[in-house]
Amino acid sequence: MTRLLLVEDNEMNRDMLTRRLKRKGFKIDAAGDGEQALVMIKESIPDLVLMDMNLPIKNGWMTCQEIRANPNTETLPIIALTAHAMAEDKQKALDAGCNDYTTKPIDFPLLLEKIDALLTLNKKKGD
Amino acid sequence: MTNSVPTRELVRLQGLQVKVGQLLVKNKLDDLIKDDLSRLYEALELSVSKLDSLNLQGIALNNIDNAETRHDIRNAIGITKGYAELIKDTVESPSASLSNLLDKIMLWSAKTISTLERTPIKRDNSKPSLIHSLKPQQEYRGHILILDDEPANRELLSRHIQQLGMKPFACEKAEQAYEVLQNNDIDLILLDLIMPEVSGHQVLADLKASQLWRAIPVIVISGMSDQEEVIRCIQAGADDYLQKPFNKVLLQARLYAGLDRKSWVDKERHLSSELEKSQRFIKNTFGRYLSTEIVSKLLDKPDGLDMGGQLQTVTILMADIRGFTTISESLPPQKVVKVLNNYLGTMAEIIMAHDGTVDEFIGDAILALFGAPVAKADDSARAIACALAMQAEMDAINARNIADGLPSIGIGIGINTGEVVAGNIGSKKRAKYGVVGHAVNVTSRIEDQTLPSEILVAKSTLDACSLACKLGRQIELRPKGVSEIINVSAVESIDTTTSSQPSQFDSAGEK
Repeated sequence: MTRLLLVEDNEMNRDMLTRRLKRKGFKIDAAGDGEQALVMIKESIPDLVLMDMNLPIKNGWMTCQEIRANPNTETLPIIALTAHAMAEDKQKALDAGCNDYTTKPIDFPLLLEKIDALLTLNKKKGD
Repeated sequence: MTNSVPTRELVRLQGLQVKVGQLLVKNKLDDLIKDDLSRLYEALELSVSKLDSLNLQGIALNNIDNAETRHDIRNAIGITKGYAELIKDTVESPSASLSNLLDKIMLWSAKTISTLERTPIKRDNSKPSLIHSLKPQQEYRGHILILDDEPANRELLSRHIQQLGMKPFACEKAEQAYEVLQNNDIDLILLDLIMPEVSGHQVLADLKASQLWRAIPVIVISGMSDQEEVIRCIQAGADDYLQKPFNKVLLQARLYAGLDRKSWVDKERHLSSELEKSQRFIKNTFGRYLSTEIVSKLLDKPDGLDMGGQLQTVTILMADIRGFTTISESLPPQKVVKVLNNYLGTMAEIIMAHDGTVDEFIGDAILALFGAPVAKADDSARAIACALAMQAEMDAINARNIADGLPSIGIGIGINTGEVVAGNIGSKKRAKYGVVGHAVNVTSRIEDQTLPSEILVAKSTLDACSLACKLGRQIELRPKGVSEIINVSAVESIDTTTSSQPSQFDSAGEK
């Protein structure tokens, strides 16, 4: 089963997204801040990370950079969940090492497509 | 400034929240859905509290300056929408009330988020457009542009307008006014007629010539003696007039009437854009099989798409590649498909150019209709012209085939005219416009008799056709299961010299 790590500080948003993704057949682990996410990734590497960017303690951009700095998770697919549909935010997320991004409020079918595309791509690379 | 009257959005939202609450208490739902619903209820509560606090501060949804506040609200609404979508996705056969409620919540969320996004990003305050800017938090009944060269008039009108809960944009000169119009959503224009540089009349003419601004109601302001000018302006498209000195009650009445008109125009625009969208959809969907002309006709008729099943006289054209089964057996599958696509694509284009409907491709065979869904007087003539154009095109197709290392092919075409039942045939889930009837079978029998490059046309079609055709061999068919004899002739060309009317198809066929 595909395991996703959802990093999101807002409890309701986390719950809502977790439910929606679970119903689509994913296994979801959730973290509330960047630091917690890094600890969880160290324990076990998920198939893909969905990362809110405005996180407490350690924000999404820094967390992403740290994930990329670790050779074990260099290629771990990350989708940034950004609050604004602004070009700079998108660029910032990509610069921090995210593979893709989607803006909030989340267009769920679009998110599923992006997850699927990244997982397929990663699988191909691995083969 | 405090505005304790709840906004429309808030009232709607509270209504939706109450309904979700009722559903939670009343219905026997399964636990999973009940849990989802209670989360939705909480999300609605969060959204309500955010909107309520915004409201208490007198801030309009589309005018939130503080990025964090806006983020908070967007987040709350996004969560609400997410839960509603989750439930919609999960429940397999929701009750009408649940499904309806979820739709309403999703619609409300989408609308409200788009209102939020419409927030103008911080305006440059140095712009001349905000000479009389009010506190930005207020929600206005309308945005009124004033164009008047006299400062005292501008001042007075602005004050009146503010008192009526509208936002004035006062301009001294026409260029200023155009700039304001470009940067703001103006609902109504108050236009002074007598100005030093450009006359009000000229401004009015400019406005009415502009695609963008044409629909904005214009009220002209005039002195006592300008009656003729007023008449001229109303003829030029002004909606109303107002005399100096201003009467506040009259001003109010005319502003309200003007805003009312604008809101109808806006609604109409919205509706017509929706209509356009759905028409585009229909055109895209049917455009692959029907000529654009037929699609347009269907759209123009109010009952155009109600193609329930109709007895109709149509001319049916059937074409297939002679000996294709043998060809296809000797070719690898990819090449078979290439031959077919090359051929079918070109033929479909020719058929549509002759206003025919491609009803079906069956393997290498084409079934095309002339006269359904829309009947025309020259259906049979167009079908024959189309068949000739198709045969004429075969040389080009074969040249391409040979260049691609594919075999050359020859087609036979049969044409017949008769009564069929035309309509959407099938089940609710999968229906297709098509025809059924004896005439279809007869066409197929005729087509069976064709030699490569031949067009066999039934007498019924030739009789209905106004064109003089040069005929070749004639045969009598007595198809199985058909009692009458069918007279069929090979059509070799349209005799243009004796034709009673100039052929309009030649150009469509050749290309």
